[in-house]
Amino acid sequence: MNRIASIATIAGVGFLAACMSAPLVAAAQATRADAEKDPVLKAMLEELDRNMSQLQLKGFEKPFFIQYRIEEVQEYSTRAEFGASEGSQRAHERIARVTVRVGDYKTDSSGGRGDGALELAALDDDPIALRSALWTATDRAYKSALAAYAQKQAALKEVQTPPQADDFSHEQALVSLLAPVELKLDEAAWRDQVARASGLYRQDAGSRAGEGNVQYSTAVFEARVTTTWLVNSEGTIVRKTAQQYQESIGVGTQAKDGMRLDRSYASAGSALKDVDAPEVFDQYARDLLASLDALRKAPLVEEEYHGPLLLSSDASADTLRELLGSGVTATRPSLGTEARTNGPFASSFHENVLPGFMDVVDDPGLKSYAGKGLLGAYEIDDEGVPGQTVKLITGGRLENYLLGREPVRDFPRSNGHGRAGITGGPRPALGVLKITAQDGSADEALNARLLAMAKDRGLASVYLVQTLGGGLTPRLLYRVTADGTPAGKRELVRGAVLDDIDQRTLRSGIVAAGKDLFVANYYGDVPVTVMAPALLLEDATVRRANQKNEKLPNYPPPE
Amino acid sequence: MLLLDFSRRMPQKSSPVSRRSLDSPSAFFAWQFVFAALAALALAIPASAAAQATTPVLLDAMTTELHRAFTLLGRPGAGQPDADKQLPPYFLSYAVSEATSVSIRAQFGALADSSSNHIRVADVQVRLGSPALDNTHGDHRGSAVNSLQLPLGDDREALARSLWLATNAGYGTALDNYLRVKTEAEVRAKEEDSSPDFSRETPQDHMGKPAPPVAVDRAAWEQRVRALSKVFREFPDVYQNVVLLTVQNETDYYASSEGSRVVTPHVQARLVALAVTRAEDGMDLFREQTFEAETVEGLPQQAALEAAMRALGRSLEALRKAPVTEPFDGPAILSGRAAAVFFHEVLGHRLEGQRQRGDEEGQTFTKDVGKPVLPSFLSVADDPTMTKFGNTWLSGSYEYDDEGEKARRVDLIDDGVLKTFLMSRLPIANFSSSNGHGRAETGHVPTGRQGNLIVTSTRSVPEAELRKELIDEAKKQGKAYGLYFEDISSGFAVTTRSSPQAFQVIPLVVWRVYVDGRPDELVRGVSIVGTPLAAMKRILATGDKSEVFNGECGAESGTVPVSAVAPAMLVSEMETQRQPQGTARPPILPIPGAETPGKDASGNAKEAQ
Repeated sequence: MNRIASIATIAGVGFLAACMSAPLVAAAQATRADAEKDPVLKAMLEELDRNMSQLQLKGFEKPFFIQYRIEEVQEYSTRAEFGASEGSQRAHERIARVTVRVGDYKTDSSGGRGDGALELAALDDDPIALRSALWTATDRAYKSALAAYAQKQAALKEVQTPPQADDFSHEQALVSLLAPVELKLDEAAWRDQVARASGLYRQDAGSRAGEGNVQYSTAVFEARVTTTWLVNSEGTIVRKTAQQYQESIGVGTQAKDGMRLDRSYASAGSALKDVDAPEVFDQYARDLLASLDALRKAPLVEEEYHGPLLLSSDASADTLRELLGSGVTATRPSLGTEARTNGPFASSFHENVLPGFMDVVDDPGLKSYAGKGLLGAYEIDDEGVPGQTVKLITGGRLENYLLGREPVRDFPRSNGHGRAGITGGPRPALGVLKITAQDGSADEALNARLLAMAKDRGLASVYLVQTLGGGLTPRLLYRVTADGTPAGKRELVRGAVLDDIDQRTLRSGIVAAGKDLFVANYYGDVPVTVMAPALLLEDATVRRANQKNEKLPNYPPPE
Repeated sequence: MLLLDFSRRMPQKSSPVSRRSLDSPSAFFAWQFVFAALAALALAIPASAAAQATTPVLLDAMTTELHRAFTLLGRPGAGQPDADKQLPPYFLSYAVSEATSVSIRAQFGALADSSSNHIRVADVQVRLGSPALDNTHGDHRGSAVNSLQLPLGDDREALARSLWLATNAGYGTALDNYLRVKTEAEVRAKEEDSSPDFSRETPQDHMGKPAPPVAVDRAAWEQRVRALSKVFREFPDVYQNVVLLTVQNETDYYASSEGSRVVTPHVQARLVALAVTRAEDGMDLFREQTFEAETVEGLPQQAALEAAMRALGRSLEALRKAPVTEPFDGPAILSGRAAAVFFHEVLGHRLEGQRQRGDEEGQTFTKDVGKPVLPSFLSVADDPTMTKFGNTWLSGSYEYDDEGEKARRVDLIDDGVLKTFLMSRLPIANFSSSNGHGRAETGHVPTGRQGNLIVTSTRSVPEAELRKELIDEAKKQGKAYGLYFEDISSGFAVTTRSSPQAFQVIPLVVWRVYVDGRPDELVRGVSIVGTPLAAMKRILATGDKSEVFNGECGAESGTVPVSAVAPAMLVSEMETQRQPQGTARPPILPIPGAETPGKDASGNAKEAQ
């Protein structure tokens, strides 16, 4: 299934060779007997059987469901500052997560603290050690499940409105065995690469001018290969692997008035070949340094602006992830309420949440797009359910939610989006979120439309957001001249925050969208990809951040 | 002192546990040899000559940048428009710890982690104002230090720039705190202790040999640690165990604006074993044992270690079945190791200089200098220059403290009379200078801390005699038995690093010694009540053999390695009660492998080869 490459083949980048050879083991036909050839799965199944048949505290119920998940994390990260390595770390551990449910599918112990127990598991394939970790975690999880179940029963007696859905969904058992992957890297080469990248500010003639002002220049390469073994008492047996690689750089300085200015760039993917080649990465880093210098010299944004705003596809991906992400995942509402789910789209089922010309689908099966590997792709989720393509929003209407095995009203089954971070419990989460516009416009058309809107509203200038930082704060924000000549002239400004961009904006404030999608790979515990077009907003607020401007350095940097 | 956190993102953080040494002298034979060789080497090269020849690039970059910062910061003409309104620092120091380390961890008889690390961290200390009143005054003490990770290697430009960044941030914090200190000084009443905030000391120049990178045969030690954890499979009721080897070679580089330049190595290998069980009534019981040596070769032979694991397992199984203690107020003996922990926690911490100053401090002994605080046959010193006691390596030894002061022996209590305190460069009333005990973990401001606390006695009797005296004393008091504390743990062992419960002691292994000649009886759940300090004044006699406790000690200035050495002590009165206990049941199903006894021991012994 790992269709992405066997070996990275970017010219002149020999050290990018990672072991990506993960041949597909007959997934569909795999059986428990096949699984038991894997010592980890064998130990898990043995302990699972023992606990399902024997675990019971006198006078209390037995578990009706047990799930074991062991994650083997192989991690490497190397970090450099100001052109020199600060060191590398290699981590290798196995973590067992045990879920025990007491009660039945309709009403069980889940929610609150009855969710599970963690234990560090053996790196050796030693059956007794592996089982011991599972045994002690199962014991704890069962005891807390009993307590949680009693609490749940009491809580149910205190509300008039019954729960709107079952506590746990019935799903088809599944056996799927993919071969595990070893993390293999040329560690020394990556250590040197980030050291070099973090020192570009002092080595590169073009960047040297701003050198004195660089207050941090940090480059990091990180790689994580996670092999997950999952078994449950319904007969599901899964072995799968996820890979993530990312190289990133962050640089920062202060403007003359003390304002902190930051720029960062990251290149991430599910294979080493998705990470930029050194010369490509370095060019981004140089551009970053140049833009940092430009920002230092850029004027402050005006105090307040209301009017049209163009979000580049890059900025739009961040924005849509933030605004849609919390809305399209379905989670159990508070007991005693009639709500379907939580979040901004809790009551929006079959309602318009985007303009009629826009569609949103989450397709974890989409592994690459325009030649780029997608980090959010996966086959089977962390509850042993195959990831399904979910048409969330069609013609602007919300038609579905992303679900794990925790049903909500009208959605009794999982659609394979129960995803978990390392050590975490599964929660419904985005995989590969693709936002598209019917008849999307080219960038030139969007720019022209932006200027036309300015004219209609008698505005001298309008704004374009190129990139966003944390908290949807613009990092590269341009004021675009609307009148005068030449119209469309862009000027970089600094110190702005955006306001009045929320779900209401999505529903009724999007005038047009682009046709090209930006692919944003988010490296992290639960990796996500968002693909989004540029968005032209009818009305948004841009205003001065008015953050505390810290003092400039008390003495000059070393020569 | 740089302590690496290997337990990153582990579900069960290994808590720092108190440490003890091994009794067996033979096990240290190999180590002694190494030590002798090292000592000879150190003597062969005069320190000053070595210094001239090879100043490490790191130290050179530190002194250069330190000088630049000290001359530019807060001074007119520094190129800043308002420089003339600022304050120049009166003191600046860089303390850089560079450490390589290896950590190997096993549990349930299998490897759970094996990793290595190499890291450099700089602590920049900035002091503004004057030694009489500076930015560290009162509860602003933390404002002196700003920490930053430094690049490895010898890239001067990168090193200098990182130090610049850390110094600049540190200066900002110091300035902010100094202004607040000044305001507070104006509005408050006169302080009880009006000592200055920083002592004057002579600059030190010492170029020790940087520690070599850690060299450990990883595969061999993985196998050894795994095998040690596997021993606990013989004890099915021990439901958790962790065996952890950490080997760390550290070099501390120190430079100050007073002209000090100090390079000292600190190397240590430590093996920790922790085992846990739970009695049927829900009482949690644990035992831990540690082994320290300068290098990993100095650790005991595998057979000795396995025997120690077995002893821990047996002890826990016995404790599980032991009767629960009853309230008791009568005579007791603390074993040498127990007494060492007791003196470290109960007495040692109260002799730290900074505890005599400040409203929040207990100031137990502040007014007691020159007065008897212990029976007159007891003396207490702290001697970090001592590297071993008998054959046991002392982990609290060091050459220079974390303020660049030379370590020295300090006689704290002479013939029961309090003489002085453990002093950092924070003066207190009547004690204006450091005595080389300013210690800290990286990222903390050094305070007065213990190194090797040595308790000696002039009223010592053989241990058999001491036991007889215990029985006599119990009889005299009309008690059916006295107590023998074989092992106690510092409270820190079971609390988190963020809330160190120093000064607490938790008895782990306690026996009833009956007056009527019945065999000694193990009891569990003993907790000491009342002021433990009071018990110290009621020491009647000591044993004639001293034992060593090697441990890690946590307090405000972080975790530092320490040792304590003491003989067994007979106390006329110790009040104990039953400890509050957990109510969780023991595991419902037996531990895997225990279902068919016998099979595992043989089956796994093969695997282990």
